[in-house]
Amino acid sequence: MWAEKYRPKTLDGMVDQKEIVERLRSFVKSRNVSHCIFAGPPGTGKTTAALCLARDLYGDAYRGHIMELNASDERGINVVRETVKTFARVRSIGEIPFKIMVLDESDNMTSDAQQALRRTMERYTETCRFILIANYSGKIIEPIQSRCAPFRFTYLPRKDHDQHLRLIAEKENLNLLDDGLDAIFEVCGGDLRRAINTLQAAASLNRPIDAKVIYSIAGRAHPADVRKMIETAMGGNFLEARKQLRDMIQKYGVAGSDIIRQIHTEIFRSTVPEPWKLKLADIAGEIDYRLVEGADEEVQLSALLARLVEAGYELRETR
Amino acid sequence: MRDVCAAWTLKHKPKSLRDVVGNKETIRKFVDWVKSWEGGIPKNRAAFLYGPPGIGKTVTVEALANDFHMELVEKNASDYRTEEAIKRFAGLASQYGSLFGGKRIILLDELDGLTGTADKGGVKATIEIVKTAQCPVVLIANNAYNPRFSTLRNYCILIEFKKPPAGEVMKHLKRICLREGIQVEEDALKFIARRSEGDVRSAVNDFQALAQGKKKLTYDDVLWLGYRDRQETIFAVLRMIIYSKTCEGAKRAVRMADVDLDMLFQWIYENVPAHLTDPHDLASAMDALSMADVYRGRIRRTRDWSFMRYIIDFMTAGVAMARVNTKPSGWIPFKFPQRIRMLSRSKAERAMQLSIGYKIKRKCHVSAVRASKDILPYLRIIFKNNADMAAGLAKWLDLDLRMVEYLAGSKKKSKDIIELLS
Repeated sequence: MWAEKYRPKTLDGMVDQKEIVERLRSFVKSRNVSHCIFAGPPGTGKTTAALCLARDLYGDAYRGHIMELNASDERGINVVRETVKTFARVRSIGEIPFKIMVLDESDNMTSDAQQALRRTMERYTETCRFILIANYSGKIIEPIQSRCAPFRFTYLPRKDHDQHLRLIAEKENLNLLDDGLDAIFEVCGGDLRRAINTLQAAASLNRPIDAKVIYSIAGRAHPADVRKMIETAMGGNFLEARKQLRDMIQKYGVAGSDIIRQIHTEIFRSTVPEPWKLKLADIAGEIDYRLVEGADEEVQLSALLARLVEAGYELRETR
Repeated sequence: MRDVCAAWTLKHKPKSLRDVVGNKETIRKFVDWVKSWEGGIPKNRAAFLYGPPGIGKTVTVEALANDFHMELVEKNASDYRTEEAIKRFAGLASQYGSLFGGKRIILLDELDGLTGTADKGGVKATIEIVKTAQCPVVLIANNAYNPRFSTLRNYCILIEFKKPPAGEVMKHLKRICLREGIQVEEDALKFIARRSEGDVRSAVNDFQALAQGKKKLTYDDVLWLGYRDRQETIFAVLRMIIYSKTCEGAKRAVRMADVDLDMLFQWIYENVPAHLTDPHDLASAMDALSMADVYRGRIRRTRDWSFMRYIIDFMTAGVAMARVNTKPSGWIPFKFPQRIRMLSRSKAERAMQLSIGYKIKRKCHVSAVRASKDILPYLRIIFKNNADMAAGLAKWLDLDLRMVEYLAGSKKKSKDIIELLS
């Protein structure tokens, strides 16, 4: 996968995140690393930074000094008790006396496991430094946060995003058009891993890469489809709108939260009277919130569609 | 008996060993034993075939007799019960050749049925037959390891029949389709075959119940199978919920019948729009379902099932109370929930996705869960469109053939990819 092929190998090769890279370099220089939390949205270089740091620190044999654990797959307390401890307590051989434990997606760790981790971190500081990677640092318990140096990753600026993708396109001999690049950014919102995966999937079609190609593969509804669904609902045809929704979710694998975000965007682009836009946004917001609490995306989104049907009806009444 | 009335299990019973579903190795072992009689009486004079019901034990013996032109003398539990009855039967077993020159094979079927005081001595008499038999004796039971057979087992060669895989069952069903001239969606056959869990007889019975008299059978037709006897119950419950005038009445509907709540939710969710056509009513009914779903999420998170009562409130009373403007308008049929067909398909699929997720995880520094959600869709696009790139990735990720086939979405495309790999 190109996302791996073009993953930077050293801190110098990192795209953007300049301040973070600067601080990590000072770790390498002083041959010391503190416990860290890398927090930030997906595809902004957190895992890459951890790997680069390790490589710069230990050289090419870095793999023997670092262990990656994924909390989403192994998030129970037993993992901390066993795997993490076993790794953490054995002293590293070589010039640097500690190893690095990378806990990816650690905001998915149960709070029990986090509690257990807290003691482990303290006890084995001599032999092991922890890098916790998370989307939201808020989901990591306070005591751990206070033991770690926080690093906040942010989405890449558009300029760096474009530059990096153009570079890959050039090396892979792709015909990446400007509106294709725009579409990638719109769809992936600066998530570079997703952007590169999207680019690779687009390249597999062996066609010039334009916006249409990108939407068709991005697991993202084309804005026109979302618009059509809203219009169908507001025009009063609930069953047809629900069918379109099902297609989006099932055939194209679009996530519910993405659809709501797109509906929200489309509401403000639509031609409904201005005061209504806010009303509709309020409905979308309520359903978005329920989506977080609920269990079933389609049911929640259908409820939203039913509200749109109702709104469309009221709109026609008042005219 | 007219053709259409015949049970398909009989009508399409395999006539030859070639056509018996599955258990090929087992059957070979059995045939070898029967053939060994040609060279004189073997060490074990009886073969004890055992295994779960409906997987072709009896059919195998019948087909063998047919293939080898042997005379089959068959007794099953309904014929012989007592020691005496079996002893009378024993004479038949005393010679290999029958009066008409053919060879003879004796079948004692449904030995499990040999129970209780009524069959007292039945096992003992069976042992006597086996000890002295001059021709092959075949015993059949579901469980050969029943303690009452412990002595009997010593005189028998034990042959275990296993449940045939769904693919084998499907092949058999396909043969029937061809002969009956019915067009059936592949998915429908798969559903029947899977559901039967290797019981070929029940698969054929189910299939007949659904397909007989039809030219075409679709996946939707088949879905009823799982809920066939509950269909009427569900309709009654739905009607009570959607048309109830009181909260209590709607809630009572759930208690009235033993229906699975998740199922019922899907039924309501599917059918509410057709029955509540006024926009306001529809919006508030869907809102109630949305709230029921929120409580479902809360249960999942807190593991506190006492919230269940609110789910029931919203999905029943909430929907019933939504009816304000919609007038009841004649007969509207209830539709089978679309989503259940999706769900029943996707279980196996999720397992496959996760196993691919683990392959990706090893290379891409992401969790398997996230890989299966975030990265897999891209792989699918690549595997569908670009065999070269796909082959490279398959190798790099170390995917097995099934995974390649899943990602490519069709056998033909996966073949292209696999050719490039080798």
